[in-house]
Amino acid sequence: MKPGLDIDYVCALAHLRLTEPERKVLAPQMAKIVEWVGRLDEIELPVPSEAPGFHLPFSLPLRIDEVRESLPLESVLANAPEKEAPFIKVPKVIEEK
Amino acid sequence: MNLTSLSAVEIRSLIAGKEVKAEEVVRAFLEQVVKREPAVGAFLSVEGEKALEQAKALDRKREKGCLAGVPIAVKDNILIKGMRATCGSRILKDYVAPYSATVIEKLAAEDAIFIGKTNLDEFAMGSSTENSAFLVTRNPWDSSRVPGGSSGGSAAAVAAGEAAAALGSDTGGSVRQPASFCGVVGLKPTYSRVSRYGLVAFASSLDQIGPLTKTVEDCALLTKVISGPDGRDSTLADRPVPDFPKTMKEKLGPFKVAYLKEKLIGKIDPDVKAVYLKTLNALQDLGGELIEMDFPAWEYALPCYYIIAPSEASSNLARYDGVRYGFRDPDYASLREMYFNTRTSGFGEEVKRRILLGTFALSSGYYDAYYLKAGRTRQLVGREFERAFAEVDFIATPTAPEPAFPVGAKKDPIAMYLSDMFTVSANLAGCPAISVPCGRSREGLPVGLQVIGSHFQEGRLFQLAFLLEKKVKFENNKNTINWKEER
Repeated sequence: MKPGLDIDYVCALAHLRLTEPERKVLAPQMAKIVEWVGRLDEIELPVPSEAPGFHLPFSLPLRIDEVRESLPLESVLANAPEKEAPFIKVPKVIEEK
Repeated sequence: MNLTSLSAVEIRSLIAGKEVKAEEVVRAFLEQVVKREPAVGAFLSVEGEKALEQAKALDRKREKGCLAGVPIAVKDNILIKGMRATCGSRILKDYVAPYSATVIEKLAAEDAIFIGKTNLDEFAMGSSTENSAFLVTRNPWDSSRVPGGSSGGSAAAVAAGEAAAALGSDTGGSVRQPASFCGVVGLKPTYSRVSRYGLVAFASSLDQIGPLTKTVEDCALLTKVISGPDGRDSTLADRPVPDFPKTMKEKLGPFKVAYLKEKLIGKIDPDVKAVYLKTLNALQDLGGELIEMDFPAWEYALPCYYIIAPSEASSNLARYDGVRYGFRDPDYASLREMYFNTRTSGFGEEVKRRILLGTFALSSGYYDAYYLKAGRTRQLVGREFERAFAEVDFIATPTAPEPAFPVGAKKDPIAMYLSDMFTVSANLAGCPAISVPCGRSREGLPVGLQVIGSHFQEGRLFQLAFLLEKKVKFENNKNTINWKEER
């Protein structure tokens, strides 16, 4: 697919909003960056012999599946922006139509 | 005796020999912080009282660890229980760490003292420490210039004698490039050598914590302490950790070094190029056989990195939504609006740019063309390293294409990204790489050499870096601020 960044669509996906002055700066910048990273099209990549992703040339051990203590509730709540102990307070999740 | 000019090893030995108390050491560094901070701005928070308490307790202790009384500065994206961890972001402005990172526990077990948290580009995204939401850190060698980034606060703190050593994190060069700009030693360990538990995630397949120090020996010591298994990071390799400070002094024997073909270094700053070529000669004097090598995929390493890192970042930073911790914008009518308003007012410009880029690269219809392609290019970079290390022991490159640049000089994001042109490949391949100060530009600014090794060969890197350090005799205490005072 031909590269083309619809900044409003991507902002919506990322849960970000841009002010008009921000948009004026960021939109052309993003277009330039997307064109720059699009340089990867120049490379002739060999037919993949392995699955995509990051492969370390060594194996990593699996840890034992065991129950561990989690953080104490008070220390977690201490960083909550709004709380009503022992809960973190959030706006209504189900929106009315 | 000027305690703040000493290395970590020297401080530890004075304290062990009872020639000086840990409390005196900490007081000397805190005085230095008061003196230097107005010009440097390396710290986001200084924990003077806690550090003094730690020092006093240490002075009463009989058995002391191998970092006893060494004041260490910690990048503000690494958690220390009870201390702020802002990541240089408004969105975590008041966040207090509820637990400590594994590296912090390991350093504390060896009686290191945490003097404060250092400034960084927001969420470690940047190469100049100008992207912090709180302050711009200045280079101690020339305060009109940047210290590099994103671990600029850590590098500047060590260079200005405000800390004996520091921790940074390196996703694309964020330890090595500021080390080069500030004339200190910096290591990015092998991916999976050092636990990332308690490091705030930026790009999880690239991030590694690494030390910034005055000497190679200090770097070897800190690396030894922070490395090794940790049940809380599943990407950690089960490998023995050598006694790096000891093995560093063993005979290196004959070695081969790959250096970059002219076309790869053609466009860099002439002073950096001169230091690079001179240091290659020094490597030859040390018995190294130099082999010119081409790394065709390196040309694409930067665009590849700038797809993978933002993609991982867009996913990792989705957690900052104002729900569980951090900043929540008070102005909202619904849950969705709270997400949008919190993220919009909480994140700075560069972070937004990278989240958008990553979201785009992962979005439906573009995933194959960008993220998948970058993943395959990354494999190509890795294979190039494998081929190179079948022939040579080390790859030597300039750490950065230029010395420290003036504050505000790089307005164009791509120009800033180019600062990582020599460092990102090691992150993409997961290889260890060290930056050692090797010379100065005509304006007197430090220039580092980067040496890359194959996986888990930090020991060999330290051996070579130690020899190089003795050979080039870089005077890391002669930065401008010290120099003015000495006069």
